[in-house]
Amino acid sequence: MVANGYTSLPVALQKLGEKADGVLTMALGERFANSNPLRQTLTTYEHASGIEGGYGFFAPAIPNSYKLVFQLTYSDGGVEYELPRVRSEAAGLRLSGLFDQIAIVRYAALRELMLKMLAYSAWQLHPEATKIRAVFGEIRMPSVVEAKRGEKETYRFMYAYDFSFATEAGEMQSR
Amino acid sequence: MTTARQRLNEFLFPASSDTWLIVLRVGLAIQVILCTLSLRSDWNYLFRANGNGIISRDLTEAILNVDSPIIPRVGWLVAIGAYFGLSEETVLWTVWIALFFTGWLLLLGLFCRITAVTAWLLHLCAVKSAGLMTYGMDNFTTLGLFYLAIAPLPNHYSLDRWIWKSKNQDPHLLGFFRRVLQVHVCIIYFFSGLAKSTGAGWWNGTSLWRSLRLPPYDVLPSQLVVTFAPVLPAMGIAVCLLEICYPIFIWPNKTRFIWLLVICGMHIAIAVTMGLYLFALIMIVLNLAAFGPWAGRKQRDTTNLAVQKVSLRFVRNPVRSLIGIIS
Repeated sequence: MVANGYTSLPVALQKLGEKADGVLTMALGERFANSNPLRQTLTTYEHASGIEGGYGFFAPAIPNSYKLVFQLTYSDGGVEYELPRVRSEAAGLRLSGLFDQIAIVRYAALRELMLKMLAYSAWQLHPEATKIRAVFGEIRMPSVVEAKRGEKETYRFMYAYDFSFATEAGEMQSR
Repeated sequence: MTTARQRLNEFLFPASSDTWLIVLRVGLAIQVILCTLSLRSDWNYLFRANGNGIISRDLTEAILNVDSPIIPRVGWLVAIGAYFGLSEETVLWTVWIALFFTGWLLLLGLFCRITAVTAWLLHLCAVKSAGLMTYGMDNFTTLGLFYLAIAPLPNHYSLDRWIWKSKNQDPHLLGFFRRVLQVHVCIIYFFSGLAKSTGAGWWNGTSLWRSLRLPPYDVLPSQLVVTFAPVLPAMGIAVCLLEICYPIFIWPNKTRFIWLLVICGMHIAIAVTMGLYLFALIMIVLNLAAFGPWAGRKQRDTTNLAVQKVSLRFVRNPVRSLIGIIS
């Protein structure tokens, strides 16, 4: 985080962070190719022991929350709105984590694929829908002062994708 | 030089009772049981492949392959099941049931070693195959189960001990594993606190405000959080200080209990105000196992000779020693 300049620390410390990051990268075998057995073994050990992720939870700042809304269009022109559905609160918490992942994905094709999968799960509940538009956005919270003035959270549009799914189960087509 | 080595030995291999391990085993058992129960209604939906889950397992496991193709995953279990003619749905439910039962077996202390390894492996598979939907709690549960799987088992208050009358574990080995956990917990808090303190939001209360107001953590009513807004900067700074200073104040006997109490209080507050109950539980379990009031209680065998014997065995052949403990 320090090396990437995500913190409020001075630039001089950023360079120190870069050096430390370089040493760690080397120690963890991350300089090797992905197919290198040593790197794969070290990475597997990190995952198996639960130490691969670091411990900067909610740090240095709290990330935004995100919202996904599906706009379902039917053959008669009717439109309905739907949210991704899970049954339990625990899964809801995980869904929120998934949205965080979608928001930080830099590879547009992967983001589209993730949203397509979510749209497909919504389409399975509404198979008569001819088109599903997945609208992904960010929830901006008011500051304490703004909240005292009675301001509510606002929604900032980020991405929208249109998907149409063939009636044949399992076949997905997007445009 | 000898004194330094002796001190290092004494630090790494203190004599310890197995009470901390009982806390870890029982705590993790409750964690596994509650975790599986909380996801019961969505379990298959989270892990299905071929576009039939909320986010297809194929995608998560393909992303996992970029890291390493040898990380355990649910896909392997589904493939094994398919070989025996079992459907994906059946295998996924079997994994859920197996994880749930290993939780109960851990709680009872029956077949401790096999159960601990199975719970760790199944949990790891589930966490990795749902990698896009995991959070800190999953990592800490994996971490706890990993320590439990390699720790000297069985311990007291387990059916294993009662049925097979197994003898006491070496107190220095118990101490060594406890020490590793203690150091790891210190590293976790130190870096967590350090990372927080580098962000301005933890000093001016913004981060606490956002953590209490952003969905899905907005458990408290908005008006209540607004009322307590003036104390949020102080609370944010207190969280940073508590975590950064954890490795300093958790070791001395004089400050250990109060620091442990405050840290556990912080996790209870996180559970109540943000709804992160399972995250709070696993952190409290790790803290109590590492630094609980029983942490310093020693068994009879505390001679320096025994310390040296065990530590020398480790220094000469750590791999064989660890395999010996596990088997």
